[in-house]
Amino acid sequence: MRKKIAFFIFLGWILLLIGDRVDELRVYQGAQIAMYTIALASIVLLTGYSGQVSLGNGAMMAVGGYSAALTLNNLGSPVWVAFLMAIVASALFGAFLGTAAARLSGPYLAGTTLALAVGLPEIANQFNFLGGVPGLLFDVGFPPERLGEEFTQYKWFFWIASFIALLALFITSNILQSRYGRTWRAIRSSPLAAELSGINSSRMKILAFTISSALAGLAGAVMAMTISLVAPGAYTLTLSFALVTGAVLAGVSSLPGVVFGALILVAIPEVADVVATRFGGGENLNNYLPTLIVSVLLILSVIFTPNGPGEKLRRHHHKKKI
Amino acid sequence: MHKLLETLLIGLSTGSIYALMSIALVLVWRSTRVVNFAQAGQAMLSTYIGFEIASRTEIFWLGLAFAIAAGALLGAGVDFFFMRVLFKHAVSGAAAVVAPVIATLGLLGLIRSIVGLIWGGEFKSIKAPASTDGFTIGETTIPFSALNLLVIGTVFSILIVLAIVFQRTNLGLSLRASAYAPEIAQLAGIKTARIRTIGWAIAGGVGGVAGMLVTSNNFLSPYSLDLLLVFGFIAAVIGGLESMVGSVVGALILGIALTFILNYVGTSLVFIGGFVVLILVLLVKPDGIMAKGKARRA
Amino acid sequence: MIRKTGVKRTWLAATVLAVGSLIATSLPAHAETGVTGSEIKLGITLPLTGAASPGYNKIGNAMNAYFKYVNDNGGVYGRKVTLIQKNDEYSPQLSIAKTNELILKDKVFALVGPLGTANFTSVHKSVGIAKRGVPSLFLNTGFSGFANKKTYPTSFMILPSYAMEAKIISQFIKENHAGKKLGIVYQNDEFGIDGMGAFKAAGIKFDVSVPYTSGTQSAATAQTWVSQLAAGGAQVVVFFGVTSATAPLLAVAAGAKYSPQWILGSVGADPLTLRALGVPLAVLNGAQTPAGNPSPNDTSDEYVKQFQEINTKYNAGTAFDDYVLQGMNIGLMTVQGLRAAGPNPTRKGLIKAMETKGSTFASVAYSPLGYSQTSNVGHTGYYMAVMDANGDRKPFGGKVKLYTTDSGSGPVVVSTFKRPAMPAKGLPSNS
Repeated sequence: MRKKIAFFIFLGWILLLIGDRVDELRVYQGAQIAMYTIALASIVLLTGYSGQVSLGNGAMMAVGGYSAALTLNNLGSPVWVAFLMAIVASALFGAFLGTAAARLSGPYLAGTTLALAVGLPEIANQFNFLGGVPGLLFDVGFPPERLGEEFTQYKWFFWIASFIALLALFITSNILQSRYGRTWRAIRSSPLAAELSGINSSRMKILAFTISSALAGLAGAVMAMTISLVAPGAYTLTLSFALVTGAVLAGVSSLPGVVFGALILVAIPEVADVVATRFGGGENLNNYLPTLIVSVLLILSVIFTPNGPGEKLRRHHHKKKI
Repeated sequence: MHKLLETLLIGLSTGSIYALMSIALVLVWRSTRVVNFAQAGQAMLSTYIGFEIASRTEIFWLGLAFAIAAGALLGAGVDFFFMRVLFKHAVSGAAAVVAPVIATLGLLGLIRSIVGLIWGGEFKSIKAPASTDGFTIGETTIPFSALNLLVIGTVFSILIVLAIVFQRTNLGLSLRASAYAPEIAQLAGIKTARIRTIGWAIAGGVGGVAGMLVTSNNFLSPYSLDLLLVFGFIAAVIGGLESMVGSVVGALILGIALTFILNYVGTSLVFIGGFVVLILVLLVKPDGIMAKGKARRA
Repeated sequence: MIRKTGVKRTWLAATVLAVGSLIATSLPAHAETGVTGSEIKLGITLPLTGAASPGYNKIGNAMNAYFKYVNDNGGVYGRKVTLIQKNDEYSPQLSIAKTNELILKDKVFALVGPLGTANFTSVHKSVGIAKRGVPSLFLNTGFSGFANKKTYPTSFMILPSYAMEAKIISQFIKENHAGKKLGIVYQNDEFGIDGMGAFKAAGIKFDVSVPYTSGTQSAATAQTWVSQLAAGGAQVVVFFGVTSATAPLLAVAAGAKYSPQWILGSVGADPLTLRALGVPLAVLNGAQTPAGNPSPNDTSDEYVKQFQEINTKYNAGTAFDDYVLQGMNIGLMTVQGLRAAGPNPTRKGLIKAMETKGSTFASVAYSPLGYSQTSNVGHTGYYMAVMDANGDRKPFGGKVKLYTTDSGSGPVVVSTFKRPAMPAKGLPSNS
């Protein structure tokens, strides 16, 4: 345990150093990577460990984002309270939904969460206090003055996001290594055997759903910070799909992999843009080449490294040892 | 009174198009155990082909025929060139539950970008094959038109044809047998791989019809069929994913429920309405309305 | 000692001179971000793909076409103007990511014509547009919230706000459709917040009011709108939404033989797009719409004629419609802004030039521009037009009757304002 704490503090120190040495664009992307890291961790916990497939993590992020924004705007509370509210609200919502979801398996759960991902953000349009299409502002404020003139807004986002991500990863990794993590894996690989050995599998599934939602909600609030806004247009079906994509690219059962998955999610659009510009020809080419590249990458990675590049390497290594 | 009747009729017309998409999804699910998100892409590409034919010849039905043919070819092609490769690299471990879904999502993106490269993002529209003038009952004209009627008619003719194929022909028997018990079917001399490809082809053709019918009343873009996929999938889940009858019933329930929400509650709640309908059904019957006990649970 | 000091002084003086002249000569080269000796780089984010893209995806290319035309004719003080278009698919996250790339990586001088209300709200806050002092000219949205010069000190609007539009429609209804049963179909987002408030303030009460949510528009939804309108017996129906919703609404209404007097809001009334979406022309015939610009088919208009020529040569294959006209006009105004900022433009200088000279810029729209030290409001009025059976629009009553107003509680007045003439050959020579 003490070793682990030391490791996370070391990671934090490295991030601090990196944050000081790269330009602003990269710092912003760093904050995004931190945000995606949390969101992907929520999928790894749910899908990789407890074996439930959710296509609705974008909706959970919306719950977190809106709770945080409402708390911050209406109660005038400190920022950390807003993040805490995001966790609490999305966990409650997740527990409620998980109770229904525990009875559902495979595609039924996928369908239900998909319907949620499409429907939930639109609710914001029905009620005025949720701000409609333009959304609600979410302003964590300027960095404290003692950090100096040179300290940019984006570096402040990066610091907050990285701190939260490290904390979230630390807690998640502890949960996954605990009795719960082992139980989830047991349920995933053999539900019947787990039931026979006295595990209440539906209660365990609800618990997984709740924790996963809490993580997603937290990610939603961090995203609201980086884009300074919550709006239905921010939590789209595309986001939900991107998260599942990132989780698969990361290797869906590996927690350290999520950092890699998050990195890819942030890097792909920029790389695709560069490639598209290089081959720059017709307008349609510029517009659709990025989608094409992402799709092909996705298909190839599912076919060749379905459990993520990390998994493949690990297995390779393992074989060598034997 | 008029409003109620109108809501039911329009719900029926909307739901019948969902039914086609959900049947396509069910056919693929039964044979391959994959929820095929690329179905929206396949239907879209088929519809673009149908659109080209229909706008050049000005004959909607010729466009529809081409869309069906293109959809069937595309469906068979996806199974043959894509799914077989995917399953050859049989996925194990934690990713097994998500990998096929992700693969079809990737395929959807691939088809979408190809369509975008060829046709661009502009809206296209297909001239409706029937009058969009509403029927008049007594003094009032309701917004339910000959086109709506034609949509319902076309969908139900296709359903009848499918029912005959599945119930009365050897092909249908093989399709059903290899869906429920692939090993036994194989032992009985059925070439399950080929039968599966045929199932994909039928699904593709049906998807093509759904795309053409939706578009005849609306417009076509690389994104225009996404919602059809979502609602088709919800309908299929309501119906229990295994049963074609169930998915049709699910689609009609969904279509009518959503139109009621639109007409009587408010437009912002339509999307979440789909979720509510789904969760209500699943809370009562976790395996969909056509589930018979737990035996067939996926 | 003394001599030594003298030598020292000479050295010192020489050094100062040398350094001074070095600084002096290097000053112009040490110019503002995004400006080099030969180029001024500008950026725009807009939806090039995705559900919201049709129509809007033409704006960037039209701006580019105009800039190419200017560049071929000497550029702006010898510099060529280049525009970097970034696709944000209308999602706020992408808008921010892409704007960050524009500002931090491509290092553009200014943003021109960014699209979308939620998008620009979040971009402005997150990217820190005001704090960085990045000029954001000619926002392609009519949300009146952007008219706050304190919050948006470096941003400038171009379109009249939705509130102004609603006030002008209200005035028009009072003048021409008094006593009739009124209905409205509106998109319940910023149109709603802006427009509905203004209708209410103007004392217009709708007998039937049908809100819809962006993205839900389809023939099936439109059928429910039409039945609600028809059931309520609305004789004059205002539509306040996007073109992809106008199309099914009009088509379904035609089918249901329901033909009220339509008043289509400016956002959803582009005839070319409507026709491409299969709206029967008979329905468009007679529809009334507030318009800021002349019809894109009106070749008797000097602006339209010049822009059409540029479009044919530099944007070949693109039909000349309202979106292209709007894009070209943003290009024209941008070039005037850059010229007004002087031969060595700075971001501060550009903003100052917009505040002090912006209101005199030539623009295709008929109404006056509201730019000043205290206001970033662009055009301030509309005239009412009638669509004919070809989808073309003509001024209501045969002659342009220009209404001007503000987004607040100010009155709607009939204006006799004469817009500045198109610069010769469409090439601004202002300074």
